[in-house]
Amino acid sequence: MIAPGTLRPRALYLHVPFCERLCPYCDFAVHLGGAGLHPRYVDAMALELDTLAETGADPAGAPLTTVFIGGGTPSLLAPELLERLLERVRAGFGIAPGAEVTIEANPSGITSEAAVRWLAAGVTRVSLGVQSLDDDVLRQLGRSHDAATAVAAVERLRQAGVRHLSCDLIYAVPGRPAATFARSLERLLTLNPEHVSCYELTVETGTRLHRQVVRGLVRPPAAAAALRQHWWAVDRLEAAGLAQYEVSNFARPREQSRHNRVYWRGGTYWGVGAGAHGHLAVPLARRLGMPVAPGAAAVRCWNQRSTPRYLAQVEREGQGRAGWEGVQAEQRRLERWLLGLRRREGVRLSTVHARAEAPQLAAAQLVTLDRERVRVTRRGAEVLDQIALRLAG
Amino acid sequence: MPATPIERVRNFSIIAHIDHGKSTLADRLLERTGTVAARDMTEQLLDTMDLERERGITIKAQAVRIVHRASDGLTYQLNLIDTPGHVDFAYEVSRALAACEGAILVVDASQGIEAQTLANVYKAVDLGLALVPVVNKIDLPAAEPERVVAEIERVLGLPAGQTLLASARTGAGIDQVLEAVVERVPAPIGDRAAPLQALIFDSKYDAYRGVIIYVRLMAGRIAAGTQIKMMAGGASFTVDEVGIFRPQMTLVDELAAGEVGYLVASIRDVRDAKVGDTVTNLEDPAAAPLPGYRQVTPMVWAGLYPVEGDAYPDLREALGRLQLNDAALTYEPETSVALGFGFRCGFLGLLHLDIVQERLEREFTLDLITTAPSVAYRVTTHDGAEILVDNPAQLPDASQIDQICEPRVEAELLMPRDAVGQVMELCQERRGEMLHLEYQVGDRALLRYDLPLGEIISDFYDQLKSRSRGYASLDYELRAYRPAELVKLDVLVAGSRVDALSSITHKNRAQLQGRRLVERLKTLIPRQLFEVPIQAAVGGRIIARETVPALRKDVLAKCYGGDITRKRKLLEKQREGKKRMKRVGNVEIPQEAFMAVLRLEQS
Repeated sequence: MIAPGTLRPRALYLHVPFCERLCPYCDFAVHLGGAGLHPRYVDAMALELDTLAETGADPAGAPLTTVFIGGGTPSLLAPELLERLLERVRAGFGIAPGAEVTIEANPSGITSEAAVRWLAAGVTRVSLGVQSLDDDVLRQLGRSHDAATAVAAVERLRQAGVRHLSCDLIYAVPGRPAATFARSLERLLTLNPEHVSCYELTVETGTRLHRQVVRGLVRPPAAAAALRQHWWAVDRLEAAGLAQYEVSNFARPREQSRHNRVYWRGGTYWGVGAGAHGHLAVPLARRLGMPVAPGAAAVRCWNQRSTPRYLAQVEREGQGRAGWEGVQAEQRRLERWLLGLRRREGVRLSTVHARAEAPQLAAAQLVTLDRERVRVTRRGAEVLDQIALRLAG
Repeated sequence: MPATPIERVRNFSIIAHIDHGKSTLADRLLERTGTVAARDMTEQLLDTMDLERERGITIKAQAVRIVHRASDGLTYQLNLIDTPGHVDFAYEVSRALAACEGAILVVDASQGIEAQTLANVYKAVDLGLALVPVVNKIDLPAAEPERVVAEIERVLGLPAGQTLLASARTGAGIDQVLEAVVERVPAPIGDRAAPLQALIFDSKYDAYRGVIIYVRLMAGRIAAGTQIKMMAGGASFTVDEVGIFRPQMTLVDELAAGEVGYLVASIRDVRDAKVGDTVTNLEDPAAAPLPGYRQVTPMVWAGLYPVEGDAYPDLREALGRLQLNDAALTYEPETSVALGFGFRCGFLGLLHLDIVQERLEREFTLDLITTAPSVAYRVTTHDGAEILVDNPAQLPDASQIDQICEPRVEAELLMPRDAVGQVMELCQERRGEMLHLEYQVGDRALLRYDLPLGEIISDFYDQLKSRSRGYASLDYELRAYRPAELVKLDVLVAGSRVDALSSITHKNRAQLQGRRLVERLKTLIPRQLFEVPIQAAVGGRIIARETVPALRKDVLAKCYGGDITRKRKLLEKQREGKKRMKRVGNVEIPQEAFMAVLRLEQS
């Protein structure tokens, strides 16, 4: 799955952990407040980028084709910090002409001027955390914006010239009927996004939401109810010309996220910033000081999750790694099914085991078999992880 | 060491409830008489298997010789014989008690008499043993020795004046216990000039010396070089050595009538030295064997299968090693569509099965699936053939069966009077036929029942204990086969019959049993990708059905760069769990489901 002849990832994830408030459902690496830390943080990322580039780079050969600046709330960074960051990326790794460069943004505080400067700095795509267009739901989700702010944010981005816009939407919010979600989605469609990520609200351990659920204060909707909202959203988005290309992602033609497709294809990528994960070829990982046992097919590595710890380590050592693991062939096979089945394209049958299993799953209408490709059916998509387990053997 | 004069030998065992201090008392006796130096004491010397110490039960009998100088100035040979304690081993217990003339009855000074004690006391009394009651743990704050002494008099009819007070922990009263054994336990009677008669009350396998036979001599003498013959088994050997346990094996010149010890005779198979058999001289044998020999045969069969198929050779090896020490265990290879290659094993009862399974898992680190236990049925087919079926899956099709006969036992149940009603009710439920009821001395009643063996191998003993608040005891002996209206209850999972889940049951109970079985299986089989129908069927007719609904949802909403490792690890863990399940067609069935048939009654 790593393109032959290249060891170097052509995708880069940059994590900006800062948030103005904590959303009760979020389990990403976040750092509350800390505006004063922004310059120092960008410097640390620059340092980490330099280290990776020096050891693992081949600037002439393979510039990046996708960059994703996620968070946290990267839109909180002042435009000049973002410029500085992308400058360092370009200097160390190169950014290919026509590359996809995405920034995640929160509706609150977006100005046209800032957006203009992002685009000038090389950003090509904005992923906007709309989440809902219902004020009550937004309050419940702990968001800092209301529906009107979100709508205004889209308008400002459009004015600034953003041509590739993705919006996040959340369904299966506890206590909210399907109709509430449906209204949000309808309103979102009037904003004409090129791309929509439509997620079920997931209760992640360690979050405030999880604690509330454990204490019985919040009751998540039953699986069947959540699935009804999901399939309704799929139908509605498809009808509006946004085709489902992954479990939770929908796009107009040629608007799929190239960066995220790298994840689902099992491709390699750099991860820079607090809590960021990387996926690297074994020889490259070794060069970067991550020895792995023989037999590993790839290496997954991750940075310090806490921002202060990340900063301290990078400033000391030039890198912020907290750990890594060699992915054995068998584990890689499981990943391939786990990730690949999420995509509309499905996965090509390769192992004897999968060849034997697939027809049974097809007979139960959990997958379809089209020549050598396995794709999940709607029913199959509901239990995708178990199907992956079954096919991986 | 020459033989001790017979009038100075005392053979006794200790009867006690599980934690009333039997082992501590035994340890103290060994220590006080210098049999074991205090510094060599490991707690509870007698239970040598880890499993025995943990469960507080004795599986193999033990015998220790104590040499004691009594207050009359004479030196006595005291043989302490420790007995196993469960109905599965009731026969072994009776042989160990038959090797004694007396028993110390230990009762906790705060707990009083408990059920297990009572059942064994009844046995000892029936064998004519002299009882030495001892109230133990008198040093504890909660001790009420007077109350317990009175209770012993009331329940067992043992005069209060005869009961001794002791604390095995502090050592108080231990000398009096030793004195009482000398005074009250009668000396054995036996003609040392007569032909040899030695009762085998246990045996164990030693990798270097072969089978070590535990014997009590009833008549004659035995020494190295003696040519011996097993009167029931028929095999003959030359004795290599005779000895005693102190408690380690110690060579002696000879053993004579009245004495207890061991003999080694290059015997390679424990089945050549069966408990209850009589050892005699090859030339000039005794006129008759000792009474009470019983051929110990398996009563219950179950399939043992390795969870992972490639462990089959390990299982075979392990069973072979266990059998060296366990004459009652039998095994032969069998196959199951659901479970693959395994063994059909024969056991004395469920505890025996449990112990074998636990030892296989623990001592040989095997991961096993045990199928529901079954008894052996005699089946006559229309073409006149008679076959023995100990695996329900192998019962011929109902259309071919002329008649099925089930094994019946005669059960002897002892209990306090006020439990008679409850116990009778239980026996009736299990298709029992009452043979005899008798109210005996003191508080006790005796019930004799004719019962189907198949009805008492599951949870009968547990039920009996719970309905008599623990006080009833059970002993049974196989009697005869009798025709019964039995049917095979099959289980179909997702439409395919799972052979390992079949059972044989009475026609009238099939409906209820089938319903409960599918209900139970529904709770044990986890949700799968597909809906899984579970059906119970008798002769192709579905009599009960449940459905395990399909897994509703298992998909991660967001799966990006940072989520992959975590999700994969979660699935890897699930995959490990699935390895412990057996796949039948499309369905993954966990280990516990195969025991569901057995646990049905208990649920």
